[in-house]
Amino acid sequence: MTTNVPVIDSHHGTPATGKPNFLNCSSGLMSWAGTLDHKRIGVMYLVGTMIAFLCGGLFALLVRLHLWEPHGMLFSNADYNQIFTLHGAFMVFLFVIPAIPGSLGNMVLPLMLGAKDVALPRLNLLSFYLWLTGAILATLAIVLGGFDTGWTFYAPYSLYTNKAVVTIGLAIFVLGFSSIFTGLNFIVTVHKLRAPGLTWFRMPLFVWALYATSLLQVLATPVLGITVLLVAFERLYHIGIFDPRLGGDPVLFEHFFWFYSHPAVYIMVLPAFGIISELVSVHSRKPLFGYKLIAFSSIAIAIISFLVWGHHMFTSGQSTYAMFAFSFLTFFVAIPTAIKEFSWVATVWKGSIALNSPMLYTIAFLIIFAIGGLTGVILGALNVDIHLHDTYFVVAHFHYVMMGSIALAFFAGLHHWWPKMFGVMYDETLAKIACGIIFVGFNLTFLPQFIMGSRGMPRRYATYVPDFEAYHRASTIGAMVLGSGVALMVFYLVASLLSGKKAMQNQWGGVTLDWHTPTPPPLENFDHPPSVTTEVYDYSTLDLRTTQTPVS
Amino acid sequence: MLALLIQDPAKINYIEKPAPRPEVDAFGQLEKLASTFHDVDGLFYFTYAVCIFFFVLITGVLVFSCVKYRRKTFDQPPASNTTHNTPLEVVWTVIPLIIVMVMFAWGFAGSIDMTTVPYEASRNAYKASAKQWNWTFSYPNDAAKSYNEVWMRVGKPAQFTLESSDVLHAFYVPAMRVKRDIIPGRFQTVWFTPTDIGEYHLFCAEYCGENHSTMYARVHVVSEADYLKRPWDLWEDDTPEKAVKSAASLYSSLCSTCHSINGAVGVGPTWKGLFVKGPDGKITGKQRDVLVKGEKQTITVDDAYIMESVRSPDAKRAAEFPNGGMAVFPPDQLDDRRLKGIIEFMKSLAEK
Ligand code: HEC
Ligand SMILES: [Cu+2]
Ligand SMILES: [Cu+2]
Repeated sequence: MTTNVPVIDSHHGTPATGKPNFLNCSSGLMSWAGTLDHKRIGVMYLVGTMIAFLCGGLFALLVRLHLWEPHGMLFSNADYNQIFTLHGAFMVFLFVIPAIPGSLGNMVLPLMLGAKDVALPRLNLLSFYLWLTGAILATLAIVLGGFDTGWTFYAPYSLYTNKAVVTIGLAIFVLGFSSIFTGLNFIVTVHKLRAPGLTWFRMPLFVWALYATSLLQVLATPVLGITVLLVAFERLYHIGIFDPRLGGDPVLFEHFFWFYSHPAVYIMVLPAFGIISELVSVHSRKPLFGYKLIAFSSIAIAIISFLVWGHHMFTSGQSTYAMFAFSFLTFFVAIPTAIKEFSWVATVWKGSIALNSPMLYTIAFLIIFAIGGLTGVILGALNVDIHLHDTYFVVAHFHYVMMGSIALAFFAGLHHWWPKMFGVMYDETLAKIACGIIFVGFNLTFLPQFIMGSRGMPRRYATYVPDFEAYHRASTIGAMVLGSGVALMVFYLVASLLSGKKAMQNQWGGVTLDWHTPTPPPLENFDHPPSVTTEVYDYSTLDLRTTQTPVS
Repeated sequence: MLALLIQDPAKINYIEKPAPRPEVDAFGQLEKLASTFHDVDGLFYFTYAVCIFFFVLITGVLVFSCVKYRRKTFDQPPASNTTHNTPLEVVWTVIPLIIVMVMFAWGFAGSIDMTTVPYEASRNAYKASAKQWNWTFSYPNDAAKSYNEVWMRVGKPAQFTLESSDVLHAFYVPAMRVKRDIIPGRFQTVWFTPTDIGEYHLFCAEYCGENHSTMYARVHVVSEADYLKRPWDLWEDDTPEKAVKSAASLYSSLCSTCHSINGAVGVGPTWKGLFVKGPDGKITGKQRDVLVKGEKQTITVDDAYIMESVRSPDAKRAAEFPNGGMAVFPPDQLDDRRLKGIIEFMKSLAEK
């Protein structure tokens, strides 16, 4: 059962043997529920966030089905409002924000740094349980009457509606702490646990991205926590902060909310950028083009993202000076983002491109993100935004970013590190087919929404003007296609755990430290503490035999 | 939690009688412009063209590379290992920077235009009052109001003062390219010059609760001559029959989102049975439980109670609705004459 070929270059690890790995080193419920191992916590996050994603997706399908008819096909207006709110809240707070850092970040970050674990393993487990508590509270809120405020909780409606706003607020508060603790943990880990020789500019870009994300999580999330607390206090004790009837200011709520939620866009998207940087390089077997520029642009984006929140409020009646500054800075963010996209494409250019499923998901990301990013530029223009704000154009734009880019990057990363984590390969043919279905379904769902929006279809509408029927129907069909693609993906991933082929030691030929551990990694990751002597993404050090040798 | 309840399509104005729309066919074309804000369209199409250019460039290079440099053997090395090209990097930083700065300046200039109300518009001032879930319009120099419909003169700049008495709403007329959030406790203004005679959608674009999607009004842009006929003043109450008829249409634009007349409980109580007809044909109010400062009392429904329910609903709340939620209609939005008409309408619903 062991192989005779020395499959991993000697000073970075040992040949794979039948030695216990993190999955089978102990068993029983408690060995998981009480684990301090970052990989197991990552697996738990993966399962949890995927379930949240599937619930959120189900709500999305209901929304789309309802909109098949101009007067709505399934629900009363009140119920429709709950369903779209649930969709938004589940997707944003339970999936998009925690998914990549919680699951892939947890699994891969210590491996990439050559560490045994994250710096604060107990805090890491606490983060997960806070996430779980938040998820339970969110579900409880549904049982307690639901909530119909939209995921933005705009005052004063959120203060007056007789739904379970306080419960969901509490859920978000708790989820916020989960996010803060993860961020804190990653910052400490990156500073303290890098392997000898792993200088800052030898760190893989996924690490850079997670680092920038963590800064945002720690600095921005408290504002969200305070804001939802204020909403809860306002509802319970009528203090008069946001409620105009008590002399409060609803626009203040918008400022507070977006002061978090704009940086949150980057909390969501930066890890996705990190994954793509990684994958583009590995699957083109070529050092990343403009490594430093990408690393710096992550940090630049993180900083500027604190200064553009007002672009969500161009129609709220801000002063001309505020509009000037927010629009200017918004356009400014476009530049580091464009640099990233260009650098990825330049990396692919003249690479040795393996068109396997992680790469196909990556290519789908690059195309979709181009659209998502470019339409963001359209929205940054002050006068154009006045027309497009709060229409389906915005809905389409942020779905191109949140679903089409972030979720697809997450799937790409999942396919990429799946063999490393579980030692098995999913069915590549099915994976490629699913990627195709998802890509087609996604565009069919959201391209028509750009058109509707530019012609004036407002968002959050349970019923609509019959002129838009054709677009809504195309979008609904697209959603069904997209949904079946995702279902297929979940199917073959789960099937691979039960009956997948053995993966290779180094399935894709990566050279960062995460590919230098045995597959799947043992409990403390490395048999011998690794050290780094080469530059990052130096494929001349790659031992190609490792890509041809199955794990034992 | 989920009542599988299908909307009554007849209640939704824009589905019942959709406004005729001008044709727009081209992919990604905006709704046809009917105001003077040409900059919005100009900049939109400019950014759109820039986007298409970059999109084609990016996907072109990407797809070309994937075809040309596909890995055919497992050990195929990359065709190049370049990781830097300073001139290229400068170009792809500076050119987009210049382009977005042009967009920024153009967009900012355009928005100044949209927020600075010209003198002429301020002399032609309308008021739009938004509440859950209807619109009330007041006209320049005219005491009459209109509900969910507004008439404007073609070619004449107009200003709208916007106010809300409950939650956030937004005033959005896509064809005019105007949108403004309406914030309770503040006045906001928008202005525009309608340039084409026709009917246009006015949507509420900021989520405002249950019937947000039916909070709809129609903008009629008419000629000077038609405007002078004051088509919004449709109220007739010379005879009780005419009053009931006028009030019925007022009911369907103002009150029907919350009150049914067929017995169904909505956001507020139904009006069915509010008045009953005795055996002698005499109409009397029913007995009703109300909450006065939380205390339960039983009263007889009469004109005064109805008036009070509309002017200051929280004085006596219907007991089934301890949380209230009735929209307040002060006299400047619904005058006593019309309110009396509505009471006649309620009485006309009385059955034996
Ligand atoms: C936003 C929803 C809403 C709208 C619009 C609305 N109402 Fe109401 N109304 C309510 C609610 C809720 C109650 C019950 C609470 C109360 O009595 O204050 C109510 C109660 C009433 C009552 C007392 C009824 C009873 O059974 O005792 C009257 C009369 C009334 N409304 C008249 C009107 C009129 C006239 C209009 C239109 C001009 C109107 N309402 C529009 C929500 C609404
Ligand atoms: Cu933003
Ligand atoms: Cu609304």
